[in-house]
Amino acid sequence: MYVGKPLPRPEDFRFLTGRGKYVDDIKLPRCASAGFLRSPHAHARILRLDASRALKRPGVIRIVTAQDWAKAGHGKLVCVHPMPSSDGQPMREVLRPAFAAEEVHHVGDVLAAVVAETRHQVLDALDAIEVEYEPLPTLSVTARALDDGAPVVHEQLGSNLISEILRGDPSLAKQAFARAAHVTALTLDSNRLAGNPLEPRCYLASYEPETDHCTLWATTQVPHMLRRWICKYALNIPEHKLRVIAPDVGGGFGNKVNFHVEVSSIVWMSRELGRPVKWTATRSETLQSDTQARDHATEARMAFAVDGKILALQVDTIACLGGYLSNFAPSIPGNSYPQTITGLYTTPALDLRVRTVYTNTVPIDAYRGSGRPEATWVNERLLENAAREMGIDVVEIRRRNLLQSSDFPYKTPVGRVYDCGNPPALLNRLVEMAKYKELRQEQAQLRKEGKLMGIGIAAFLDKSGTGPSRQLSTRGGLHGGFESATIRVHSDGKVTVLSGSHSHGQGHSITFSQIAADRLGLPIEDIAVVQGDTDRVPYGNGTWGSRSASVGGTAIYRASETVLAKARRLAAHLLECNPDDLDYENTLFFVKGTNRKLSFAEVADAAYHGASYPSDPGFEPGLECTIFYDPPDLNDPQAMHLAVVLVDERIGRVRIREYYTVDDCGTMINPMIIEGQVQGGLGQGIGQAMMEHVIYDPDTGQLLTGTFMDYAMPRASDMPPLQSDYLCVPAPSNPLGVKGGSETGTIGPPAAIGNAVVDALWHLGVRSIELPITPYSVWRAIASASAGEA
Amino acid sequence: MATVRISLTVNGKPVVSDVEPRWPLVEFLREHLGLTGTHVGCDTSQCGACTVHVDGVALRSCTLFAVQADGCDVKTIESVSAGNELHPMQAAFHQHHALQCGFCTPGMIMSALDLVRREGYELSEETIRQNLEGNICRCTGYYNIIKAIGAGAKAMRNASAG
Repeated sequence: MYVGKPLPRPEDFRFLTGRGKYVDDIKLPRCASAGFLRSPHAHARILRLDASRALKRPGVIRIVTAQDWAKAGHGKLVCVHPMPSSDGQPMREVLRPAFAAEEVHHVGDVLAAVVAETRHQVLDALDAIEVEYEPLPTLSVTARALDDGAPVVHEQLGSNLISEILRGDPSLAKQAFARAAHVTALTLDSNRLAGNPLEPRCYLASYEPETDHCTLWATTQVPHMLRRWICKYALNIPEHKLRVIAPDVGGGFGNKVNFHVEVSSIVWMSRELGRPVKWTATRSETLQSDTQARDHATEARMAFAVDGKILALQVDTIACLGGYLSNFAPSIPGNSYPQTITGLYTTPALDLRVRTVYTNTVPIDAYRGSGRPEATWVNERLLENAAREMGIDVVEIRRRNLLQSSDFPYKTPVGRVYDCGNPPALLNRLVEMAKYKELRQEQAQLRKEGKLMGIGIAAFLDKSGTGPSRQLSTRGGLHGGFESATIRVHSDGKVTVLSGSHSHGQGHSITFSQIAADRLGLPIEDIAVVQGDTDRVPYGNGTWGSRSASVGGTAIYRASETVLAKARRLAAHLLECNPDDLDYENTLFFVKGTNRKLSFAEVADAAYHGASYPSDPGFEPGLECTIFYDPPDLNDPQAMHLAVVLVDERIGRVRIREYYTVDDCGTMINPMIIEGQVQGGLGQGIGQAMMEHVIYDPDTGQLLTGTFMDYAMPRASDMPPLQSDYLCVPAPSNPLGVKGGSETGTIGPPAAIGNAVVDALWHLGVRSIELPITPYSVWRAIASASAGEA
Repeated sequence: MATVRISLTVNGKPVVSDVEPRWPLVEFLREHLGLTGTHVGCDTSQCGACTVHVDGVALRSCTLFAVQADGCDVKTIESVSAGNELHPMQAAFHQHHALQCGFCTPGMIMSALDLVRREGYELSEETIRQNLEGNICRCTGYYNIIKAIGAGAKAMRNASAG
């Protein structure tokens, strides 16, 4: 058995030796270079755009704008996951334009594309395009988006509201609040983040006029979806005329799922010019054009009975979606957020309102965690503050409220059904691992010495494994949730697995090989995995939302079983026995009780020779199976984190002294990969908690964090000592029992660390802490507490 | 634009080339010599994906002009392994799962090798953490990178002793 073993990854060798093939590493002859003219204003009318001088610059081949896009009859960049308002009104949709025509709506909005012989000629020409703007009033603060008199991002809509999502039962919640023994209320904003996969986005399109066929190499997590969006919605070209290849991709984190504005134009230009065209983003461009994340303004309250049992949760959130709607954006605050907001507790009543809004900022979309970090920040901060106010220990209050394993399947107040789990076991393991009691004693001792130590916990769940397809479509979703797999046995018995998932760091190659090798009973060396090519791999929905193992992996599992059953049938035919009379062991089919046998390779050889095979109806030569597996349900990974912090009260510095995690991600196919995913997620989650923040000037909407010199991300010295453990409750919805294992690291840290910092400062009157928890944030919390404003 | 002739050694081979003064060294390596193992992650010397060795010292090739490398000995990730045999530092990264998407990895390896040159084969976790200030990894949380560099340094000593 290979499943369960921490086997290393075959792709490491090319990455370690500098032989990886990322899109920008692909060099084609006659390749032209492209670049985009971007708005320096957050909100302005375009009075004049004159490219005539730029066109005369050396090497310039083409310059296109919104007028050319319209003239070419091109369409729109689609929003595939709409969320109508709860009163049935459709979303007020303004999609990202490939080129802004009359107004720009965020810094970085695209006005024109330049194609020239070299990159430097492109840059020179971009400088020579003349644009006259009339700056307009700008809105960049989410909390102010619905204020009377707030600047309106899209004038034709009359306000900044996109949709209003209501979940739960307000009257039930109201009753609960009325009879509550205790109510805790907090402002709980989520900071805006940039995902920043280390490889900037890059697109290389190569059109061959003689075959009318175009190949696009793209930094994407979803090659088939990208092909569909470009062909069907943006450029109106037949899908069989476009091949999308996602080669090595340098990190994705959701950023490379989204339908970004530049990609269609690169395909268009290559088709127009009949030669390859490439665009590689600079980091300054990714920070003003890659979709960003989080950015919620939230007021929330939690009601409790006298014994600390949660009675109700009320949440009122304004969720920013940026200057335009990106293609998955509405589902993050409208779907993922409500579905996880009550976390792992038996919250009987919920009153949730989410209003999504436009502001003059880069569009928001999926980024690792997507809605769950925002939800966990709300649920877990309220619970711990309440515990302290009510004099109940934070572990004890969780024990009183956690779902028990017997509560599953559990229907939440938003209607979502959690599949399985054992939250009390996770909490027990966390407390035991962290030596919680000793930590509390140490905290008291240190306090006497004037040192501020804090302990904080986050208990939460993820939402993984999207599909099922039908469920996605109920809200008007325009994509499926299935995954494809082909098991192709070659005539020598070796196997190629083609998967519709895509690895951009997650190590699918080894994980999928482990699944296929076990099911086929073959040595893992005999398996190779292919993904990321629409001309080689059947249609897949790609990798996002922690779906690859549970959906893509199950597709491989099932297709392998079908292939093995066919091999067994053929072997029985060749050995002149009944399939049930065969044993299969060590790659050999044996007739039970005899020494008659055939190897898997011999059966494969016969399958492709075609000289002799069963006359069963439908039995054909060859040994290959393709399936499109649509999962019956999502799955619900769960985790708990504990942070121990030391706070230097004088300068506001927080040091995370220790960090503990316990995950239940179901069956672990490759523990080494899972551990890497948990650790990597923590890098991003601790980044959100401690330093990451996309900042726009509140008055002008100017992007202030426009390079890596301004946008802080964790370095090696920022990561705390970590201890992790894993408990497994297998998912009931797939035969592997796997759940998502790659997002919990981003979900827990803001809440766990925020709770720890508030714990350390509680005696000073601090009740609230703003994300990210920088020294300034801590200093402000202490200062406002001592001024009596807490 | 006018070009300037430069002569340098890249991965042990002499190179003479005419370059525009505005080309960063990384552009020269990637676009003109085809050495695409050196990556550009940020353009501003923050991420370290473009780290190469110039006269034996780790430097950012995104903020060094190609003309500044005139007369220098430049080594890139492509020079580290001997054929298909991984260098002990590379092998340690593989064994410890110290890479995921692989984009920062060449820069990490080049920085790690420079760290061993400066600090020797016995590297404390603290030393490694502090010396990785100039390299961003967005995938791993650094835990396995730190383990790998410590183990890789030890393996280098064994290899040099052997």
